[in-house]
Amino acid sequence: MEKNPYNPFKVKLIDVIEESQTTKTFVFKNMNGGFSFNTGQFVELYVPGLGEAPFTPSSNPAIKEQFDITIMKVGKVTQKLHSLAKNTELGVRGPYGKGYPLQNFKGKEIYIVGGGVGLAPLRSLLFALLNNKGDYKKIMLRYGARAPKDIIYRELVQEWQKEKDIDIRLTVDVCDETWKGNVGVVTTILDKKDVNIDNAVAIVCGPPIMMKFATFKLIEMGFKDSQIYLSMEKNMSCGVGKCGHCRIGNFYCCKDGPVFTYDQISGFKEIWD
Amino acid sequence: MEKFFISKSAFNSFIKEISRDFAAFYLKDKAATFDWRENRRKLLYWQKYEGSLEGLSMAGVRAQDSLKQFVFSSKEKVSQDFNDPNNKKKPVLLIGAKNCDLRGLDITDFVFMQGDFKDPFYIKKREDMFIIASDCTNPLGTCFCMALDIQPYPEKNYDLGLCDIRDGYVVEVETQKARNYIAQYKDKFSMASNAQLKMRDELREAAASDVAYNVAKYGVPKKNELKGVVEKCFESQIWKDEAKTCVECGCCNFICPTCHCFFLGDSSEKNEHIRHKIWDACLYKDFAVVAGGANPRKRLFQRLRNRYDKKFAFFPNVLGVIACTGCGRCITGCPGKIDIRRILKNMAAEAKAAA
Repeated sequence: MEKNPYNPFKVKLIDVIEESQTTKTFVFKNMNGGFSFNTGQFVELYVPGLGEAPFTPSSNPAIKEQFDITIMKVGKVTQKLHSLAKNTELGVRGPYGKGYPLQNFKGKEIYIVGGGVGLAPLRSLLFALLNNKGDYKKIMLRYGARAPKDIIYRELVQEWQKEKDIDIRLTVDVCDETWKGNVGVVTTILDKKDVNIDNAVAIVCGPPIMMKFATFKLIEMGFKDSQIYLSMEKNMSCGVGKCGHCRIGNFYCCKDGPVFTYDQISGFKEIWD
Repeated sequence: MEKFFISKSAFNSFIKEISRDFAAFYLKDKAATFDWRENRRKLLYWQKYEGSLEGLSMAGVRAQDSLKQFVFSSKEKVSQDFNDPNNKKKPVLLIGAKNCDLRGLDITDFVFMQGDFKDPFYIKKREDMFIIASDCTNPLGTCFCMALDIQPYPEKNYDLGLCDIRDGYVVEVETQKARNYIAQYKDKFSMASNAQLKMRDELREAAASDVAYNVAKYGVPKKNELKGVVEKCFESQIWKDEAKTCVECGCCNFICPTCHCFFLGDSSEKNEHIRHKIWDACLYKDFAVVAGGANPRKRLFQRLRNRYDKKFAFFPNVLGVIACTGCGRCITGCPGKIDIRRILKNMAAEAKAAA
């Protein structure tokens, strides 16, 4: 029989890290060996008997012994995941889809725009970029969260800011007394003076509305459609291009994406909804 | 290619012999009386063969339900406690499959058998299946296959092709598997005579003229006139108007020989974790919803449009094939009287007017 693509393999939950009130990072180990993925690829994480949902690992792809998935509590599967303790056995299918084409980024300035829990896949991307930081001219991160308490990976972000490997600017939509930085949506910290657009790529990951306006802002700044890499979120159910749920025009988000350049999909309708 | 003739009694005994290797199903007219030319407008169903072909309608139209169910079940176990399930079943033998369903296999074969990941459940059933197809000699008023360059007789995706010529069947051999059966039971077959072949040709011509009449009567556009029409009519009022009577029952999806969407449903039974692959319908509200609640097709007209977009834009673009075979099932099945012929006609007219 051909390999059954609907059958998950077993993983063990080895650690749970609280990132914010609604977000946790889950650390998994494949119970029968290691696990490799390319940054930007996704997996289907399975709660036995309950259901599964697609997530992009948030850990360094160079680490094969274990992998992280950062998950916000939003639906049936994620509610259950948030209630799980260490050593629970779960299932995984994947990795699926095409990740970030790092070879296309070499020698360029990498302008990364993230929103909310969209920083999770981007953390994996940033680790991958830092693994070979000499390959890239400059790495920039522009990240927006709803409020200071919603910022995830706070310590890591502070560490990155100190080390100066990544040029970071943060913003929040709504501030509180602890916040001394920029207030406003993420597009308010995008500035064409920061980046040499002729030799740059932009990478956007976040909630659909944020991705839409960030993309429009990047185009206004002078980025070409083909320079903008979008991590699309659709209902990826089977993950292998069969079930029909995640179609974007002539593509399936799961097998042809989830990373697309904007010129690939800008001609299709309903892409931001 | 050699063409044979088999009498109806010899065919019955042929089926009795070969069905031992299969779970066999034949097209049955549920009305008790049956005559080879008088089953017009009657509804046919797939009947499990249990030693008798009683009520067989080889000359009739396609069944009410498409043959996709025999390769892509409405609910099928695909995982059991992290293992492959034990779905051992006899291969399927179909008797009387029509070309609109056979051409539907072009789509489901592409979906489940091509690409980086393949569906082993579909492949197993598809490869083990034996299809005895037959000419559609009594098309229904809703049949419009020929508008889409599909003939009312078997063209591909079958093993043996039959035409009911009253006293028996003219038999066309398509595959090696079928050739082996003919060789094994050669005493039941004779070479088809010219008179028998002529009879078949006349029946084919009559059926073709019935379908051509339908196509003309309802003004169904031809395949080449449908190129790019969904893209051109994406913002058209057509979708909002047509969606007014849609009740989101999903019948058009389930009854369609090319609709192939499914979801993976997880459950637990007796301490075992089971995953089923279950038919889904893109007309349902939650079809494209993501966990955060975003829904790319919140409104019903968008979902109705999506079904046409997938069939008349996506598949022509990625495979070069329209994912509609003109079987007309969605016309009869729809409680809202949404008629694909009318939608295609209106789209083609609007696209032409805009050009």
